[in-house]
Amino acid sequence: MLKITNFSKCYQKGIRAVDSLSLEVKSGDVFGFIGHNGAGKTTTLKAIAGIMAFDEGDIEIDNISIRKDPVACKQRMAYIPDNPDLYEHLTGIAYLNFIGDIYQVDKAERTELIKEYADAFELTGNLGDVIGSYSHGMKQKLAIISALIHKPKLFILDEPFVGLDPKAAYTLKTIMAKVCSEGGAIFFSTHVLEVAQKLCNKIAIIKNGRLVAHGSTAEVIGDSNLEEVFLELIEEKLS
Amino acid sequence: MKKILRMLSVQLWAALGDLLVIGKTGKKKPVYIYIGALVFIIVLSAVSYYYSYMLGTGLKMLDSLELLPAIIFTAACFATLITTVFKVKGTVFGFRDYDLLMSLPVSTASVIACRLIILYCFNFMFTFILMLPMMIAYGRLASPGTDFYIMSLLLIFFAPLIPQVLASVIGTFIAYLASKFRHSNLLNIIFSISIVFLFVGLQFVLNGESEKLASLGQIITQQLYRLYPPARLYTRAVTGGDWVYFLLFIAISIAAFAVYTFIVKLLFKKINTLLMTARARADFKLGELKTASPIKALYIRELKRYFSSSIYVLNTAIGIVMLTVMSVAGLFVDIDAMLGGEQALELLKNNLALCLVFFIMLSCTTMASISLEGKSFWIIKSLPVAPMKVFYSKIAVNLTVCLPALLDVVLLGIIFRLSMGGIILLLLIAAAASLLIAMYGLIINLMLPNFSWTAPVVAVKQSASTMVTIFSGFAFVALYFLFASLLPSELLANLGYLIFLLLVDLTLYIILKGYGIKRFNAL
Repeated sequence: MLKITNFSKCYQKGIRAVDSLSLEVKSGDVFGFIGHNGAGKTTTLKAIAGIMAFDEGDIEIDNISIRKDPVACKQRMAYIPDNPDLYEHLTGIAYLNFIGDIYQVDKAERTELIKEYADAFELTGNLGDVIGSYSHGMKQKLAIISALIHKPKLFILDEPFVGLDPKAAYTLKTIMAKVCSEGGAIFFSTHVLEVAQKLCNKIAIIKNGRLVAHGSTAEVIGDSNLEEVFLELIEEKLS
Repeated sequence: MKKILRMLSVQLWAALGDLLVIGKTGKKKPVYIYIGALVFIIVLSAVSYYYSYMLGTGLKMLDSLELLPAIIFTAACFATLITTVFKVKGTVFGFRDYDLLMSLPVSTASVIACRLIILYCFNFMFTFILMLPMMIAYGRLASPGTDFYIMSLLLIFFAPLIPQVLASVIGTFIAYLASKFRHSNLLNIIFSISIVFLFVGLQFVLNGESEKLASLGQIITQQLYRLYPPARLYTRAVTGGDWVYFLLFIAISIAAFAVYTFIVKLLFKKINTLLMTARARADFKLGELKTASPIKALYIRELKRYFSSSIYVLNTAIGIVMLTVMSVAGLFVDIDAMLGGEQALELLKNNLALCLVFFIMLSCTTMASISLEGKSFWIIKSLPVAPMKVFYSKIAVNLTVCLPALLDVVLLGIIFRLSMGGIILLLLIAAAASLLIAMYGLIINLMLPNFSWTAPVVAVKQSASTMVTIFSGFAFVALYFLFASLLPSELLANLGYLIFLLLVDLTLYIILKGYGIKRFNAL
């Protein structure tokens, strides 16, 4: 579903934000991407989403290179950033409808999916209000709904649980599990290690732009727990 | 005081940074943008000096040279007033970092002082560029005493105060009224355009009464004083050398500003809360949805973005609105009499293409359309749409705004009794010029984007992209003179100019398809 091969991204003065990162996310995977602040998680996610150009390596979605055919890749995935800055002047429903138009979601299916997910996230009543009036959590919910209504195969989520109330976080976890059971895949970053441990079947840990561990959750954590493994790896690399 | 100065320096640098920013925040700005800004100020001052000197020479012939300071003073005040009306919301009220500033351990009065001083600084810079060259021009023509220089120099600091107070009152009133309605932006646009036309109309009304007065000097003096009463105090002070009027002007300016500051202090939180609390109903029921093709959806999105910002509309549509109003009015008034004779009529008729292109060049929406994506830029970049489709949607909105120009051509054709061929040629020129400015503005904005704005006014009015587009865009207008002077008839000049515009269109399209896409992907 997602194949990253030797991906590197340099910023100014040759500083490598991400260095030769390679990993693969398969159909049905809930893949957690973990790292400290500034480790290179968001850079990687943005490059996968086709938002950020990169220097070396390749990223393939469904065997299509994002470099060669970004539109086809984007058609197959959905991206939600860590801070959902949406079109503040549009109403929630106008935004969802815009996304539906771009992905050419059938009218009946669009209505049905908006209803299903807006009800699930308890946002239906607010869809007529401008996004500018929404709280951070409401914007996050709207961004999640907008990602779900075009049924992508791959979800790229940057800190998806930030700002969500407990019920909405639970709803999202349920939906994530459902998406993967239906053959989709989720690649997401998080700082909430308990969630990652419970939810993910695969985990990658990134430190200073380099992968320090990756594989199935069981392989990565062994007999320990994710928090201990994470801290151990980070400190090991520091010393 | 230390806190105010610290806040002021941060915010002023942020505002200047917005003006000079290139690319992402924190990226080192190229030296040429600072040189460009300096050249821009020097050129503007030189133009201002030239204009003052020429006007002064004319007035001297009419024995009315003492009117020069009053005219430039009134012009500067009116320009300050009109531009500030649109800046109040976003600078004094309804600015983005309101929550952050109000949460700091500083008094509300300090926050207000900062906002008002920032607004004053911008108005002062503008007034200074207009008034200082005038002072030099008047000095050369009238050889006044030292008093003139001292007084006029000192009064430059006080000149923006009264217009700023008036503009703030009008701007706040418009924003307040508009916020009471669901389609507040649309109302804001209508109110603001009405204000502009009210000022323009006022001048016509005053013109009508002017015939009763004896001399030209008297006419101008009376009109200026009626239009802007403080001009009387200013003129008496600087040209009459009257220190009492000088002090009176300063006292009135300070008093007006003090009263205004006091009122703002009383209403600051209330108005900001009102303007920044979006209307939420939370009673939506999902009904039938309207679907559209991706390109239409992009166009609708762009159109909604356009109309969501009153400052964006006012800054880019006012030229076309004025052209339309004048074209429609031309059907009902006696143009011959208004222009004062056949010669002037003929001159205007022969330069219709020039006038048309001038107004179209003022109507560039694309020059801020990339910047206005702001922090939401990730959306369009993550969607499965090719950059060219995004460009088309932005160009289409610009063409929509320029569309009335085609109707105006037909109306002008009727008014000036043009041949069918002449009308078709003008229609083609209008279409080619609209396309040109749309693509040109877009390329400039791709080169000089600013995504870190704190209020849309920064992207729309105060960014490097808009300045470069507007001022370099006038070069395309000026080139018409080349065709008019080189080619023997107006028809041939228009034809030559049309071919030139089409060639530029083609070149810009090629640039957009190559460089434009690359740049978009790299942003």
